[in-house]
Amino acid sequence: MPTTQTPTKQNAVYTMLAVAVLALALVPVGGAVFVLGFIYGDSPCVMCWEQRVGMALVALIGLFVLRFGARPKYIGLSVLVGAWGVFMGLRHVGMHAARDIGQGFSAEILGAHTYTWSLFIFWICIVTMGLLLMMLQRGDAQVSPRGLRPIEKVAMLVFLVVIAGNVVQAFASTGPPPYMGQGDPVRFSFNPKHWVWSLEEWSNLLSFDRWSLRGRWAAEKPGLAGVSADPAGSPLANIPTLSIQEQRRLAIPLRGTITDIAYDAGSDRFLLTTQHGVYILDGSLQRLVRYTVVDPGYSVDLGNFAGAAFIGGNEVMALGENKSYVVLREDDEANADANFRYFLESFDTFKEVSRSRLAAVRARMMYTMSLAFDAAGRSVYTVTVPNSKSKRLVVSRFDRRDLTLSEEFMPGLKPEGEPGLRAKRSVDEFYVTGAAIENGRLYAISAAFSTLLTIDLATHEIVAAHAVSGLDHPTGIAIKGDQIYLACEDGRVVTVAKPVS
Amino acid sequence: MEFLNLVLIFITGCLVFRKPEKERVAFRILVVSVLLMVFLFSMATRTALLPGVNY
Repeated sequence: MPTTQTPTKQNAVYTMLAVAVLALALVPVGGAVFVLGFIYGDSPCVMCWEQRVGMALVALIGLFVLRFGARPKYIGLSVLVGAWGVFMGLRHVGMHAARDIGQGFSAEILGAHTYTWSLFIFWICIVTMGLLLMMLQRGDAQVSPRGLRPIEKVAMLVFLVVIAGNVVQAFASTGPPPYMGQGDPVRFSFNPKHWVWSLEEWSNLLSFDRWSLRGRWAAEKPGLAGVSADPAGSPLANIPTLSIQEQRRLAIPLRGTITDIAYDAGSDRFLLTTQHGVYILDGSLQRLVRYTVVDPGYSVDLGNFAGAAFIGGNEVMALGENKSYVVLREDDEANADANFRYFLESFDTFKEVSRSRLAAVRARMMYTMSLAFDAAGRSVYTVTVPNSKSKRLVVSRFDRRDLTLSEEFMPGLKPEGEPGLRAKRSVDEFYVTGAAIENGRLYAISAAFSTLLTIDLATHEIVAAHAVSGLDHPTGIAIKGDQIYLACEDGRVVTVAKPVS
Repeated sequence: MEFLNLVLIFITGCLVFRKPEKERVAFRILVVSVLLMVFLFSMATRTALLPGVNY
């Protein structure tokens, strides 16, 4: 076995590397400055600049290898820069990838925006490095500088011309140090009157509380720990109080704690969910009609159930905190073997109809702990719970037929009259853990401040609010006749009189 | 700062091409340029260093 390649084979490797450097310098780095920049006036944003610099650095390291041989430190650095480039591409693409079709930032080329091409190019760089490395053999690392062949000289000259062009564009677009690139750059121009040099990226650099790994995506999971149940702290002033009329604890053993409750007047039955359980009980909450425990990890990640609703046609819906849902149909002849994949217990009482996700817009960055069905409007509703990153009370309506977002609003208070808001407070402070709909009104129970909100679905106004004394962290609400049933975290189900408003 | 970094890259390319005996200097400038790129990108994305998507 030879320990070194023949000069011909070695030259072939370096020729391929020179061609790769030429391609990298000419197409993405050169094309970006001479075609997109100088001809079409495109200016990179600050992130695009670093991605372009990364590509230039990969090409530069290629020149090091052409000149000094395939030394381990050059190979290692090229892999590091390539990997960082892939990360930069992912970070940048992540800002825009989930937007509506065709949307993006700045120029689109052949169906993809420039930052997406950057991700692809860095990935190609790493693949190319791997292929070239496979062709190297021991002894290929040079000790002294190599003499350059014509194609290698061309690669170096082209690289320098391309970088010179980028230096010109960078001076015009970003300015000399300490000025640097901008989030929303100004169109490129050779006319200094149109140059905008910015220091915006330096602002608050030392405010380390603004440094974050995931930003607003670092929202905590919902939970009632730390949520104040005291109505006295409510953002609403002078609201009437409802008293608990009756309370009970279910005699039926449940897998987990009650996370929501719903009622169907047509069949006089209650629906309860636990973390992963779905239970149908009779109208007295004493007899279990049927139940199952859903496998939450099969296919769609359902998380923990936080919402439950009868949605018509012998179908029930259980909603996870992450707005993923499962629709089940009552079926006395369900195939237990076929249901093995869907359920963890009680395989022959339901048939799984669908399992998917509700997609919101205003409520996108917030979890939900409630679900309600409006038979008249053929819609299901969710209400958000605030988190440390996003604090907005958002009601979302999804059409029952395709479970697609059809309306979203942020309920407000009537301009005058009751209930009134205390100074410097907001209805966004409520932590709605249960919802039910009757006669065009959404009744939302908030674990924060133990408050029942009545929201008019037509006017989007909070038309009434009532404190519920003695309530401790409700998790669900159901309306049966003139009674409101509230399931609590501690396992109680309490009833209060439905307010007349 | 991008201007500065590209100037450094241009100087490094010139050294590799015309002054190969300055290999160590060229490599040091290369490393500085890589670190400057990492710093500037991190600074520009400091409010959310990782991609803003579900994990």
